[in-house]
Amino acid sequence: MTRFWTVRRNADAVLAVALLAAVAGLCILVPLLWPLDPTRGLLTATFRPPMSVVDGQLHPLGTDQLGRDLLARLGLGTAISLGIVLLAAVISVVLGTVLGMLAGYFGGWLDIVIMRAVDIQLAIPFILLILLIVAVVGPSMGNLVVVLGVTGWAIFARVARARTLEVRELEYVEASRAIGLSNTAIIFRHVLPNIVGPQTVLVTLDLPRLIILEASVGFLGLGVQPPTPTLGNLIGEGRSFILLANWLVLYPGLTIGALVVGCNLLGDWLVRRADRRNA
Amino acid sequence: MISVKTLSFITGRALQGVVVMFGVSLIVFFALFLTGDPAALMMPPEASRAEIEAFRQAMGFNDPVLVQYLRFVGGILHGEFGNSLRFQRPALDLLLDRLPATALLAFVALAWSSLLGFVLGTIAAIRQNSGIDFAIRVISLLGQAIPVFWLALLLIIVFSLNLRWLPSSGIGTVQQLVLPSLALGAYYFSAITRLVRASLIEVLGENYIRTARAKGISNWRIVVHHALRNALIPVITVQGMYFASLLGGALITEIIFAWPGIGRLAVDSIQTKDFPVVQAVVIFAALVFVVMNFLVDIAYVFLNPRIRL
Repeated sequence: MTRFWTVRRNADAVLAVALLAAVAGLCILVPLLWPLDPTRGLLTATFRPPMSVVDGQLHPLGTDQLGRDLLARLGLGTAISLGIVLLAAVISVVLGTVLGMLAGYFGGWLDIVIMRAVDIQLAIPFILLILLIVAVVGPSMGNLVVVLGVTGWAIFARVARARTLEVRELEYVEASRAIGLSNTAIIFRHVLPNIVGPQTVLVTLDLPRLIILEASVGFLGLGVQPPTPTLGNLIGEGRSFILLANWLVLYPGLTIGALVVGCNLLGDWLVRRADRRNA
Repeated sequence: MISVKTLSFITGRALQGVVVMFGVSLIVFFALFLTGDPAALMMPPEASRAEIEAFRQAMGFNDPVLVQYLRFVGGILHGEFGNSLRFQRPALDLLLDRLPATALLAFVALAWSSLLGFVLGTIAAIRQNSGIDFAIRVISLLGQAIPVFWLALLLIIVFSLNLRWLPSSGIGTVQQLVLPSLALGAYYFSAITRLVRASLIEVLGENYIRTARAKGISNWRIVVHHALRNALIPVITVQGMYFASLLGGALITEIIFAWPGIGRLAVDSIQTKDFPVVQAVVIFAALVFVVMNFLVDIAYVFLNPRIRL
């Protein structure tokens, strides 16, 4: 007996792509095309609910405590948050992959040192470490990218190392060593291509963590500073007005939810697809 | 019986934990030196040059870094993290004052999320691909997608502001515990549901389950007596890690619900640049994580005799 949720095994991937495309549309189209300034508002038009019209100008998601258009702020905020998160993910992946490959390929003391560093990294609660570092170096966008990136490499290193250990024993790697290829060439030409796939899946599954982390830091007021919007500080600012204007909290939260559900579904689908291919 | 192998495994793990804590202390110590001048960092911006210099001298920031680090580690080993700059009290005392509140919140959150996650995960696995399974999967997917702070605010909007059923802040009564523990446990509930479901489905596909079925044992008995036991091993492993990382979520939850626990202490201290307290909290959190993982590793060995050491 087939029911609608088992009919299409790729239904969740379709949903994931739809959610992610909607968010991508929001953060690309709104900053480019929406005419309202996200950082300037009308003090005579504060806390207007969604779909209200002020001076002939529609505010589809309403306005905030300073009369700024929420759609414009949400668009820019999503773009900034996503930018920070994606750059941080790139740093994490590159750092983790390189260290993991080195640990797995060379073994010995290098392996021990790197893997203990992974343990140490994983033992410290990310958010505390990030808050600590941001409090010390100051909350700029660049600092945030670096801190989020540098504190997230550990799981990528684990996966890269495990994969490298497998690949290292394969015959074609042995063959390349026999014909005198250098270690660097073997690592980058023969080991790396085997790691790209698993790491891509892992990034998709790790992005939700980064998105929520970045939003949490912003929510606590230690991220990118106002008046620049991010998903987290939109919610953080809106928090004081939930009785008066719950849309200020509602829409940024829904955006985060859509991003995270999208990434999770896509990641799960990628994992299943990889499993099916291996089976 | 504890064999020599088991014993050496346990010692090895304990040593590993010590190494990790050593690394954590290095990071926590040197984080303050990222800007080059911890004295200027900790003093208010309006402090005069002479005041900063006097503070630097008093805190011993003029000594060689290695000496400072050894003093820092030595202090930790004696349970001394230095005085809070804000309260002029030992940082550890502040932390211990706040610990019961966080422990209570974490315990309640973990209790409801584990119980409910366990039950729903089992139901979903037994009725795989049914409507119930679908509903449970959707709920657990959403639970992992919603950031703690957003869920917390939604709960406040619905239950405190609109329905007026539950208070939105404070500590002391059972009612005040409901919303924070709901918010904090949501993520773990989802994670545990998904994990129990996946793990149980895998075990139910094993040969010995088919044998049990062939013998005519009832479905219920198979699940309770044969499958769950093995399905729970990965769940327990993850449980330990979750408990330790609960502190990260507790941070946000405590801020929103004005819950006077360690998380709020940490954020307040970070915002007022009270670094000795921050250091104490980070080290404490890492210690909890390391100890929990150590216990889980040991439990794992005893729970799963198939593991070869």
